[in-house]
Amino acid sequence: MIYDVCVIGSGAGGSPIAYELSNAGFNVVVLEKGKEYTEADFTKDELAVSRRDIYTPLLKDEKHIIIDRAEDGTLTRYDGEEYSWSFWNGSMVGGSSNLMSGYFHRLKPNDFRLKSVYGAIEGANVVDWPIRYEDLEPYYTKVEEVVGVSGKVTPHKFAEPRSTSEFPYTSLEENGVTQWFDKACEHLKLSSIATPRAVLPSAALGRNGCSYSNFCGSYGCATGAKGNARAALLKRCKAKIITEAFVYKLDSDASKVTQAHYYDTTLNSHTIKARIFVLAAQAIESCRLLLNSKNEHFANGMANNNNQVGKNLIFSAGGTGQGRFHFEKLTPQQQKILMEPGVFFNRSLQDWYEYEHEGKRYKGGTIDFLFEHANIIPRVMRELYDENGRIMWGEALQQKIHKSITTSRVLTFEVFNDWLPSDHCYVGVDEKVQDKYGVNVGVIHLYSHPHDLKVGKTLAQQARKVLEMMGADEIRSNISASPPPNLVAGGCRFGNDAKTSVLDKNCKAHELENLYVTDASFMPTGGSVPYTWSIYANSFRVAHKLLQTLRKRRV
Amino acid sequence: MFLQSRRHFFQKGFVGGAVLVFCSGRLFGAVSTMQTIQVLQEDLFGNTTNAPTPQEVRAQSYLAMILQHSRVSQKQKEFIRNGIQWLNEEALEMFHKSYVALAKQQREAVLQSVTDSRWGESFVHAIFAYLFEAMLGDPIYGINTDESGWKWLQHHPGLPRPKKAVL
Repeated sequence: MIYDVCVIGSGAGGSPIAYELSNAGFNVVVLEKGKEYTEADFTKDELAVSRRDIYTPLLKDEKHIIIDRAEDGTLTRYDGEEYSWSFWNGSMVGGSSNLMSGYFHRLKPNDFRLKSVYGAIEGANVVDWPIRYEDLEPYYTKVEEVVGVSGKVTPHKFAEPRSTSEFPYTSLEENGVTQWFDKACEHLKLSSIATPRAVLPSAALGRNGCSYSNFCGSYGCATGAKGNARAALLKRCKAKIITEAFVYKLDSDASKVTQAHYYDTTLNSHTIKARIFVLAAQAIESCRLLLNSKNEHFANGMANNNNQVGKNLIFSAGGTGQGRFHFEKLTPQQQKILMEPGVFFNRSLQDWYEYEHEGKRYKGGTIDFLFEHANIIPRVMRELYDENGRIMWGEALQQKIHKSITTSRVLTFEVFNDWLPSDHCYVGVDEKVQDKYGVNVGVIHLYSHPHDLKVGKTLAQQARKVLEMMGADEIRSNISASPPPNLVAGGCRFGNDAKTSVLDKNCKAHELENLYVTDASFMPTGGSVPYTWSIYANSFRVAHKLLQTLRKRRV
Repeated sequence: MFLQSRRHFFQKGFVGGAVLVFCSGRLFGAVSTMQTIQVLQEDLFGNTTNAPTPQEVRAQSYLAMILQHSRVSQKQKEFIRNGIQWLNEEALEMFHKSYVALAKQQREAVLQSVTDSRWGESFVHAIFAYLFEAMLGDPIYGINTDESGWKWLQHHPGLPRPKKAVL
């Protein structure tokens, strides 16, 4: 059998393709490495989900090799298994969108023109995108409607243009502490933004509304309210999904991919033939599959005759920070508001999406504010040390834990700014190390440009001022070059020049007629927001182009 | 139940047996790993009427069980076993007795000494991590008896809670 379309990976990058094309009557198969979990399987089992990471592969079976480049050029090699350094996210139908918090921000128009607007930066491969914000805007809107984005549009100086005046779904219920935040922002002359969320506040789109379980990010959604790719798209389309299918090689002739090979759980190999192949296995793994798919026409790996596959890997730069609110400084009523579980703290700031420093214009970023995750075990573990940094034990520790957990609450912030692409941050394949399938593992070459830290620290300083104004204590932040494994992009950047990019502006490989890549790897720069909304939107955009192509062929 | 179905482990499991302990380069003898863990957990968490005890939340059994799990790395398993050995060797160096044979004040002095070292601090940190997993994980795993850990910290677990043990 020959399918019209074979999609490799069922997350936010692959599912819009499967949804649009199968619903238009095309024969679509989706190959997913992980299992399928339904709402009934998703419980808030902290031990299983957060302590034992049941949704990701075991590192002894599947790992990455990480080569970290220090600023002085020193390289250090880490075996992911040995150092428990995992770059896996959600290995399941719907991918890591099952486990996201769903903080949804659009890119801004200037994110598409980073080089033109802010100029080149030495040591960084900054480029403009081959499309403009206007090209993606209709698809951001489509995601709001089809996947479901709730919130309230907040006008501010860097707000992106919208084709609709409001979100299709009203805001989720909020914790009263958001009012303290809004007041602090008013004092500081900042625009407090009600963070849009890919979470339905009430039943819609054939899904239930949010149950305010207090355990959203890192956990699968038991109601279907979260706009994960499985609940929002794959359950509502006719695509055939083959689970526990690890695609290890693509075959091609000189111009077309002809088939995909995958292993099932018993290591039996199977083959899928299709007219069009769409790769969306997550940025690192998509690059790895292409690099491992060598043949007489593509000696360096599929679509890689120009040696661009894997290059310009990016993450989200920035870091986190926090402040603590103690009962001692609050009235009984304020204490009650502070400790109310379940309801969200949906606030963010984009006042420094662009800023000036010493006469120079800088691209800044986004700061999301949220309560510390409700997982109790890490919250308790963070209390183990005294003020001198010495580990504690005994009754004194018991008292410290009890007081901290029951009479205070931590408000955290997350800084998102551009991780500048460079020659030193890329994906390769290890020549010797193999996974449990006998397939060479990916090598992640890490490098963070010093500019990223500089911008991140500027943003964190501003966030700290807001916490201070709110009356928080123990304010701290940590901006680092550590790459967040759940915010990875690039490696198959799109562009108009086939010499410096892997994909054309429609995310089709320059070197092949029927290979598309629609996970975050298409992004040449990442913007300063979490990626998921843009991945969804771009995949809908590519689906639209594919529909036009397939319909023409039918005619 | 997760714990009850694996009782046989106590006889032959990873930390269910004994470690050989040396003092000043000479073999002292075998020390029970489980006895060491039981006493260590009580020393670390303390025993007050305000909070559940490690024994009440079955922290010792939990540690033995979780160290059998495929999602706990071999490196971590070996580290815990080595830590028990090193803790006892420190006790022998300081007081010429195994850790469990020491008086409370002497054990306190051993803990002060080992946590001055990097391995000692990491070891204590790891023991705490599994102890709090037992105290604050879902009772479906045969731990956190009567939700006593959650009650102590007024913690509301997320819903839905697990209906079966998946570890």
